[in-house]
Amino acid sequence: MQRDNLAVTQVAGHLLDKPPVVSPDSTNYQVLEVFTSHEGLANLPVVRDGQPLGIINRNHFMSMLARPFHREIFGRKPCTAFMDTNPLVVDYHLPLTELSFEALQRGGKVLSDGFIITVDGAYAGVGQGVSLMQALADQQAEKHRQMMDSIHYASVIQQSFLQSSRRDMAACLQDYFMVWEPRDVVGGDYYYFVKRDDGFFVAVIDCTGHGVPGAFMTLIMASALKQVLGSHDLHDPAALLGAINRQVKESLGQLADHERHPELQVEVRSDDGMDCAFCWYDYASHTLTFAGAKTPIFVLPPKGDEVEVVDGNKKGVGYVSTPLDYQWDNRQVKLKPGSRLYISTDGIIDQIGGAKRICFGKKRFKEHIIKHAHLPMAQQQQGLLDAFHQWQGENSRRDDVSLFGVHIKETRA
Amino acid sequence: MQNLHIPATTYSPQVDFDFSRHQLSLRGESYPENASVFFAPIMAALDAYLAPLDHVRISVDVQLAYFNSASTKAILAVFERLNDAAVAGNYVTVNWHSDPDDDTIMEFGQEIAEDNPALDVHLLELV
Repeated sequence: MQRDNLAVTQVAGHLLDKPPVVSPDSTNYQVLEVFTSHEGLANLPVVRDGQPLGIINRNHFMSMLARPFHREIFGRKPCTAFMDTNPLVVDYHLPLTELSFEALQRGGKVLSDGFIITVDGAYAGVGQGVSLMQALADQQAEKHRQMMDSIHYASVIQQSFLQSSRRDMAACLQDYFMVWEPRDVVGGDYYYFVKRDDGFFVAVIDCTGHGVPGAFMTLIMASALKQVLGSHDLHDPAALLGAINRQVKESLGQLADHERHPELQVEVRSDDGMDCAFCWYDYASHTLTFAGAKTPIFVLPPKGDEVEVVDGNKKGVGYVSTPLDYQWDNRQVKLKPGSRLYISTDGIIDQIGGAKRICFGKKRFKEHIIKHAHLPMAQQQQGLLDAFHQWQGENSRRDDVSLFGVHIKETRA
Repeated sequence: MQNLHIPATTYSPQVDFDFSRHQLSLRGESYPENASVFFAPIMAALDAYLAPLDHVRISVDVQLAYFNSASTKAILAVFERLNDAAVAGNYVTVNWHSDPDDDTIMEFGQEIAEDNPALDVHLLELV
């Protein structure tokens, strides 16, 4: 984090303005003269021997003087008559944030009357309410910019983790799409694809959370997946899920009480993991082996007119409530050439929208798959996303969105 | 025991636990940035309420539109506690309200009914 940024270190003194001042002995006629000759002057500080005594607000002063006989009565009297004797007085070095809290405590007054700035107790000048607001707005914008810069860079890192999958997908599949849209630039959705001579492996993953914590989880899961793939068979997705579950639960200490070493006390307990679909497609047998953690897959047979939903198991991977030795099930699905397979995280299915502001839901998702089924996958992607965006309408995006679709072609040699 | 009332925000549901009348309700959406911070005091209050109960009729009304995965876990935990209370000898009715076109929320209600057999769950369609 850079520390030399002006907006972050701003103090009250940066708002310093040096308007004309009057002494408490000046008459109201003299004050009137000052206001008349300085048209833009909203507030006139009253200072004696370098000590601030108060502020005369133009509007208040003018309205007082306009009252019947007030000009005659008060004209030659000292200007302290219409002076605010208790303005906000702050030191030059008071940080802006503290200044804003002090200003708020005074109610609306500081916005119209401004405040007095001193150096070592001596009058230095005034600050205007509007410049305080401007400075706070600038500070806010600057902090937001810094945060977004940081998140945009995090996104570069996160996307670099997807590169090998993107490359393998493009090399292996002829007719497919992969949508990956984090809600907040970075996110908790992730996908993994690897091509082999006898088939391909695809995983679509929804880690707990979104934004920065979600992105952390994708990196943890990516590394767990990589390790597990080194020691386990890619052809057995259920075994991969079981191995990742053990690894994540142990490395993050997400164990149930009876799974935990009795002497091991942890103060902060995380409970994060992933919902996902893991699939292996075998070219020779045209068979998809699917293991799912709270994530279904959607299958449309060649020339079919109904989308089949294949559910996974109901446990997520890595969570405290998932047993350490939990076993997921492999489900075999025939995917003859011409079949289409779709996998989505819950970001699409659960998005709020439509006239009744309810979830998009699996039923509508399936209807839109059927509606666009005759098209090449790239156009299906557009059709599905258009339908989704139309459903979302004015509602904010609730979660990260990932959607994979593939049209299975004749097996390549 | 003090009733628990938390007004709804854009990101969190309205929580209305009227312990004195044994009527609990959850309404709205749930996707707070930190779900465990939001749900921890709710779970604590629920635990304290349920602990001494015996042979009490508890009525729970739920009408949720959206909840993220972290909230889902917390909501499932709420029903697990209620199921435990039912097993312990109380009678817990859950009225699960969902729009007839909202298969996601309806399925979640079915899941809760299947996972917590001691609860008397009624899946009701909003009109």
